[in-house]
Formats: sequence, structure tokens, C-alpha cells
Amino acid sequence: MSVEQGVRELIIEILSVQPEEIKMEEKLSDSLGVDSTEMVNVILALEKKFDLHINDKQITKISSLRDIITLIESKRAAA
Amino acid sequence: MQDIVITGMGVVAPPGIGTADFWHHVQEGRSFVSPITRFDSSLYPSRIAGQVNGLESYKNGFSARLLKKVDLFSHMALVTSDLALKDAKIDLRNFNLHRTGIFMGNTLGGWLFAETELRDLYLEGRDGVSPYMASAWFPAAPQGQISIFYGIKGYSKTVVADRAGSLMAIAYGARTLERGKLDLVLAGGTEAPVTPYALLCCNTYDFLSRKNDTPENAYAPFDKNRDGLVVAEGAGILTLERLHDAQRRNAPLYARICSFYTNCDGYDRVAFEPDGTSLAVAIEEALKEAGFDKDSVDYICSDGAATASGDISETRAIKKVFGRRAKEIPVSAPKSMFGNMLGAQGSVDIITTVLSMMYGTICPTINYKNPDPECDLDYVPNKAQRKDIKRALVISRGRGGINAVMALERIGNNLITGKNNEEGRYVS
Repeated sequence: MSVEQGVRELIIEILSVQPEEIKMEEKLSDSLGVDSTEMVNVILALEKKFDLHINDKQITKISSLRDIITLIESKRAAA
Repeated sequence: MQDIVITGMGVVAPPGIGTADFWHHVQEGRSFVSPITRFDSSLYPSRIAGQVNGLESYKNGFSARLLKKVDLFSHMALVTSDLALKDAKIDLRNFNLHRTGIFMGNTLGGWLFAETELRDLYLEGRDGVSPYMASAWFPAAPQGQISIFYGIKGYSKTVVADRAGSLMAIAYGARTLERGKLDLVLAGGTEAPVTPYALLCCNTYDFLSRKNDTPENAYAPFDKNRDGLVVAEGAGILTLERLHDAQRRNAPLYARICSFYTNCDGYDRVAFEPDGTSLAVAIEEALKEAGFDKDSVDYICSDGAATASGDISETRAIKKVFGRRAKEIPVSAPKSMFGNMLGAQGSVDIITTVLSMMYGTICPTINYKNPDPECDLDYVPNKAQRKDIKRALVISRGRGGINAVMALERIGNNLITGKNNEEGRYVS
């Protein structure tokens, strides 16, 4: 499973949204109306699913699906 | 209180969702109390309750995504708000949301959500706790969820005052309208006590009926063999407006809120003041502010605690205020049919009383079989009674000796005429 597919599935499950609602480049807060508690929930689930740690500084920098995928791929490459 | 009127009513309760369904069932004089099925309660001294059915079928924009983030008590409050707004024919786009407020009563908080998260905290550590916990569990969460859902931004409050909470919330909402700080108020209460921890807390306090084998007979206010109340989940919310605003938009005019008074027994942690002196003072003050002559009160919706301390002191307070006439005033506890919703009960009592005014029918106190010489008023035993009600009082009391009394008056001849059929059910 690609990182993108894994992240998409996770967002669909956590936010109960339809696949077509998730836009690659748009902020999740804009396209899906994600609030702060939902974002924390998504991040906790990402950490569990991809077995990695996302620190507070990194959290402030991810807002779109593209940002999340880039962060996870860079962490995997560095591991 | 000057010209504050109820223009909409929403209810989610064991007898029904929405006022039509609720009224259809409560006038029947039968019980909606049943064994608890949500979790294994077999070791609880009291394991019966009034439980809400069919909430999930009420959608109306309450998405699965939203409901994941809220506890049952917020879910019920959201549905009830929607019912009240629709009942009032209110489109919030026509209201200034900075001048719209929310006033809610609640006692316990959102334990159905919180309990599983606390379990996960101890099993998995802090990472096991859902971030949604932050906004799901606390008593003011329903106020927040309603405000977010509708974009309501005005002066708002949540009141925690045991079983008196929602009556107080409605009163504070009405007073805020009266002072001109708001134009529209959503006021009421919500409670979800049918969870393992919440029910344990109620059991620990030792005010619950233990008639687990006969749940339909368990809640028996004013009966000599009473052994406590039965808890229920549910919510009741009203829309309140100033009379002239309501008239301008041709709103339904259900009833006028004429006064409110609250005080404390200052007596004991558990028992009520035996002679009911403080409750009598609260009733007197409510009558005085409302400008009600004592002879003009047609009905009293009682607190009906179904404990000796509660029932006897409430009866004595009513007798102290009304003297010889006390025995002529119908005093009932319709909650005996479905249980006590604690922080939501006052609002549901208001709704029941307003419906009683509209339909000219007093809902009964069920399970009244063995008269108690200490409780000798007309408790409208077991069967609804036809009566024209123009003025009524609603009494809510809380642990630690909180007394709250609200006076209501029907507006004009807002009366739906009809009759009871052969089964005793009201038909229009």
C-alpha cells in the first residue's frame, strides 16, 4: 500500500468523509472543515499506522494531504 | 417577569421524541421504565431506568463525523434544539446570532464518552485517550455543541444544580431576555445518566428505587411504599422570546414565564428540610413576582422525589402556602411514568405542563396505590384528568436542599379542544 493510499484510508475512517472530498493540495481545514481535535486525532492515528513520531513543530507545518504524505515519506527515508 | 414567552418546545424522552409523540404517550398513564440494557448492571442496587429509543434515526445534519465527537447528552441536546427551533418556526438566518443565547442545565456530564476514554487512559496511557474527550465530557459541552452547530454567539450559560439545573437555566435565559441582552434564547437541559459510572454515582447517593423486578411500578412519588426515584435519560429545550418580538413574527405562543425563585434549605446534605419552610418561601416569592393570587393556581407540577423526606416536605410546603385550598389543587409528578432526568427534568416538566395547559389534561402520578397520611394532596393518581389550566407552578429540587419554582401562564385561549376516547387517550 502506498503512503498516499494509507493516509487517504485513515482520513476517510477517522473523519467519516467520502474519498472524493479529500483534495491533495488544499488545507484539510478548508476542504474538509477539520477542527483542531480532529487534526490531533488524525496525527495520533498516523503515528500508530506508520509507526513514527510527529513532533509539535512538524504538526504546525502540515495542513494538506500533500504535506502529510511528504512528511511521512521524508521520515521513512531518514529512518 | 415581563412578557417572556415560550415559542417552541423540543423534547427527547423515553415516551417519545418531539412533543407530539411525547404527549401522545404521557397522557396514557403508563410506565416507560425498563431494565437497563446498555451495559451489564446486574450488580447495581438500582438497575432500571427510562431510556431513549430511536435517537439515531433523527438525522437532520447531525453527521456520523459530528456524532463521533460528542457524548450522548450532547447528541440529545442537538436533536432537542432542532426540534424546538422547528416547533417555533425559527429560521436562524433571520436572527442576530450575537443576540441569541443558550442556557442549559446538566448534572453529571458526558460519562458514556468519558468512561471509555478513562479506561483507555489506564490501559494505554495518555496516547490512548481520544482528543475528542476534551470537548465531549464536561457539563457545558452541549451548550458548546449547539452553539457551534448553529453558529450561535450570544451570552450563554450552563447551570449545574442537580435536579433544579434546567429550571434555573430557563429562568436565567428568561431574565437575560428581559434585560434586553438577547433577542432569542434556547433554554433547557440534557442528561445521560444511564452509563456504568453515572449510574454508580446515583446509586451511591442512595436515592434510587430498588424495585428492579417490577420496573413499571418502581417510581412511586407520594405513595407510602415509595423507595426512591428512577433515573432517565433525555433532554428538553424551549425557545424563549419577548412577547412583542414573538407576535411580530407570528410565532406560536405557548405560555408566558411569569416568575422564578430559588433558595436553599440550609439543612442537610441528603434530607430536605422536614417542614418545607424554605420551599414554601420559594413558592410564595414566585407567586408574588408573578402577581398570582393563590386562588388562581390551577395545577402544580411537583418535584416528586419519591423519598419520604422529599415527598413529605414538598407536601408540607404546598400546604403551608395554600392552606385549606392545597387539597383542591392537582399536584402531579408525570415523571413517575418515565423517570427523572435530573438536570433536564425541570425543562421536561415545563413542557409537560404547557402541553397540559394546551390540551386541558393533567398527566397523572402513576404507581400511587397506598396513600401516605403525611402526603394528603390530590396527586392525580394513575389516570390523566381533564382540567382547564390557566396558571401553573413547576417545582424542581436538588440534593443539598436546592429549591426552584417557576410560574407559568397560558396565553389567551391557546387551548386545543377534544375529548378522551374509551381507552382514556385524548383525541382531538
